[in-house]
Amino acid sequence: MNVSSQTWIVVADDPAVTALVVAARALSAEVTAVVAGRRATAESVAAAGVDRVLWLGEPAEGTPVEAYAPDVARTVADGAPRAVLGSSDGAGRVMLGAIAALLQAPVLSGVIAVEHDGDQIGVTRSVFGGVAERRDLVTGGPAIIALAGGDVGDPSGAAVPVEEVTANPLTTGRLTGVRKKEKAPVNLGAARTVVAVGRGLKAKADLALITGLADAIGGELACSRPLAEGVDWIPKERNVGISGQQIAPELYVAIGISGQLQHMVGVRDAGVIVAVNSDKAALIFKQCDYGIVGDLYTVVPALTAALAPKP
Amino acid sequence: MTIVVAYKWAPNPQDAAVGSDGSVDFSRAKSAISEYDPVAFELARQVADATGAEVVGVTVGDASIDTSLARKAALSRGLDRLVIVADDRLAGADSTRLAAVLAAVVRGIGDVDLVLAGESSVDVTEGQVAMTLAGQLGWLGLNAVSSVSATDGGYAIERDVPSGTASMVLTGPAVLAATTDAVLSRVPGMKDILGAAKKPVEVLSLDMLDVSSAQVTLTAVSASRPAAGNRQRVIIDGSDPTAAAAELVGALRAAKVL
Amino acid sequence: MDFGLTDEQELLLDSLRELLERECPESYIAELDRTHQAPTSFRLALHEAGFASLGFPEEYGGTPCDAVTLMMLTERVSQQGLNNGYGIELLQAKDILEFGSQEQKADILGLLAAGAVPFALGFTEPGAGSDNSAMTTTAVHRDGTVTFNGTKTLITNALDAKYLLVMAKSSDGDDERTAISMYLVPMDAPGVSTNKLEKIVWNTNDSCEIFMDDVTLPESCLVGRQGNGFRQLMRNLDLERLVIAATCLGLAQCAFDDAATYASQRVQFGKPIGSFQLIQLKLTDMAIKLENIRNFVYKTSWMVDQGIPLRSQGALCKRYAAMAAFEVADDAMQIFGGIGVNAGTRVSRLWRDLRGHRFGGGTDEIMVHIAGRQIIREHR
Repeated sequence: MNVSSQTWIVVADDPAVTALVVAARALSAEVTAVVAGRRATAESVAAAGVDRVLWLGEPAEGTPVEAYAPDVARTVADGAPRAVLGSSDGAGRVMLGAIAALLQAPVLSGVIAVEHDGDQIGVTRSVFGGVAERRDLVTGGPAIIALAGGDVGDPSGAAVPVEEVTANPLTTGRLTGVRKKEKAPVNLGAARTVVAVGRGLKAKADLALITGLADAIGGELACSRPLAEGVDWIPKERNVGISGQQIAPELYVAIGISGQLQHMVGVRDAGVIVAVNSDKAALIFKQCDYGIVGDLYTVVPALTAALAPKP
Repeated sequence: MTIVVAYKWAPNPQDAAVGSDGSVDFSRAKSAISEYDPVAFELARQVADATGAEVVGVTVGDASIDTSLARKAALSRGLDRLVIVADDRLAGADSTRLAAVLAAVVRGIGDVDLVLAGESSVDVTEGQVAMTLAGQLGWLGLNAVSSVSATDGGYAIERDVPSGTASMVLTGPAVLAATTDAVLSRVPGMKDILGAAKKPVEVLSLDMLDVSSAQVTLTAVSASRPAAGNRQRVIIDGSDPTAAAAELVGALRAAKVL
Repeated sequence: MDFGLTDEQELLLDSLRELLERECPESYIAELDRTHQAPTSFRLALHEAGFASLGFPEEYGGTPCDAVTLMMLTERVSQQGLNNGYGIELLQAKDILEFGSQEQKADILGLLAAGAVPFALGFTEPGAGSDNSAMTTTAVHRDGTVTFNGTKTLITNALDAKYLLVMAKSSDGDDERTAISMYLVPMDAPGVSTNKLEKIVWNTNDSCEIFMDDVTLPESCLVGRQGNGFRQLMRNLDLERLVIAATCLGLAQCAFDDAATYASQRVQFGKPIGSFQLIQLKLTDMAIKLENIRNFVYKTSWMVDQGIPLRSQGALCKRYAAMAAFEVADDAMQIFGGIGVNAGTRVSRLWRDLRGHRFGGGTDEIMVHIAGRQIIREHR
């Protein structure tokens, strides 16, 4: 396959693309975005510092953005870029999967670093849930890379025109409605301090203990998977780990969390990790900076009290 | 109609031996149905019980995934039958290659209108295979699926989306990755386990499948073990909570994170 | 000899582990122990997952299961730290399945299905425990009714149970083989009263005295044949001893694991205490005892599965398991030192509960009596 030196980004109706744009800019001077979804999204992307925007047209009422995955894949294949970046969240995975299938190329996840290595692209990834890291050269075609999306800083650059491309989205699925949930927006990723709680909490009512500590310490509340899925005590946006957020706060306090790899991957880059757990054999005590072996029901109130301003 | 459960028989990396050179040795780690997958089995069974569809489990990987234990473990979770591709040429295969083989199997099964999968795998933890499979099949791929039910001529599903819960209707084939809490999966009982030994298993040869060959490949340059494991591990006895709290707060102030 | 697990055993233990993680975490057990509650929700979960009907005949909705596998499951539940969490009710229910009427069977199985305790075993009396001939509770049959009078004591689970499986004298004479009959007496029958006993072991099983004053019931409360009660009871006692031995094994394993982990982490004199040979000696002997108990339990279970008469084996196994398991727990307490005796520590609970198994289901000493007699008989 004839490969250009360009980097493309694929956008699944999510205007928060500056993280992708920054990563793409580091690989090539010219960045093209393929946007599936509403025109407003395409226009927002067009002003986010890219050189070209290919838009697949306004979706008909009820068409999910995932229905455009085959069109996105064809458009990217026609452009023959050297690298394709997309979001590792939600519909981003569907777009990257369609591209990977069409080009018979792997999707690279858990990416730590991407750089040119001569004519090729070298990718350093964390593999097997983070127990090891690996650096590979991508040969034979484009590097398809899944990255945490979102915005890092404000978009920069003059708006470019949005070019519409004809698309034939799949018609096999139709959106019929969205039940909005009431919630304040959470930005765990930006929090300096995060207080997370896990299965050690016995009842939802006891969450007050944890939020009390989070308030005293000035941190955001987070949780491990069992509390966000299954019992549904804490909104999923606050779930940390492989199935949730990957964050790097300066201080991470894990309460009643056993320290399974699937959770710890989400805080691997945290500055200081504190653990409170009644099970002294808990895995987390091998992966923390400070650990208190004790009952969270007595330790957490004591911590909250110790953090309170002295009268 | 047939519902396929695409699942993985895999070890937990937590049990792997990781060398200082970044080599990952899974030989001492016990494999199991990947912990993200039971929910897919359960959803498939519940939908099939309502529609009379057949539930076929499909798994692909290296030769080690086809043991009698592995077969029974999958079949005891509500499958009607099982199709396996176990070939050492698939050892360490990337998500696109696995998806290509899965796609060939799904095409071979015939009247499949739904493929259900977990949202990730316990070993590779990338959460990509199911969505690449959708790409291979040219079907609609949807992740974060929290419920599936049969309707006249299709399925009604719900998904977790950032703004809430989205409802959708499906009128054609789709690949769905289910959230781990979409449904509480039953644990197999003795009846299920004994019954598993009697269910049909088909082993397909990789050579007989129409799998397009990889165009893009990876060349390993280097590997390493992440250094982040080196934390201080100062353990404080919490039997006197007040003293323990004071000690911790003191240490955190000294470390200037408070 | 194959010491490996079959696929079925491995998968069943996997399922059980999943269920225990979900339904029976340590916090749950500790709370039950603290508040003296029975593990009802866990029992229900066991039933829903098909574990509670294992070993029952298929005609009653059960799934046949060998004794080795059943004991592995009993061991595994105990290893979670839950005492008497699996197996006992199941075995007692076998008495009803083998000897009960259709109505009794349906009733008892229905209660099991609801996660309830169908009945408590009403055997021990203030003046009669292992000496059945001293039993004074009477059952007088008259005109299609039975009238009970007498006192039972140290009855486990009676306050939770729907019925009391009463052993009572239905005719004069001291020959336990013909004088004693078995009955299902509803705990709420007029004339039944209870007095709860406060004990320091087995908090998740209640224990009480039961008084029966002219309790009159239709004769249909008889289980099996009149005068055959003792033989019926004996029938499953060996299996009960085995379940107790497997329970002891699991609890002791739990105590051992806790102690070994503690020893490897507790630092004194600049080293983990596990690096001192006195602690290592304890752990080593504990490990040997565990291995012995395990082999004893599995071998005895295997004999049951092969249909080999147990003779003294059941009593030998129960005596050894109960005593050795308590020694393991006692050493575990010693390794924990002062921490271990704090109320609420798991090791203290295991220690208390294992102490109870040295008399529950027959004392260490009565096991000598049972096995010793048999040994002498075989060598006469």
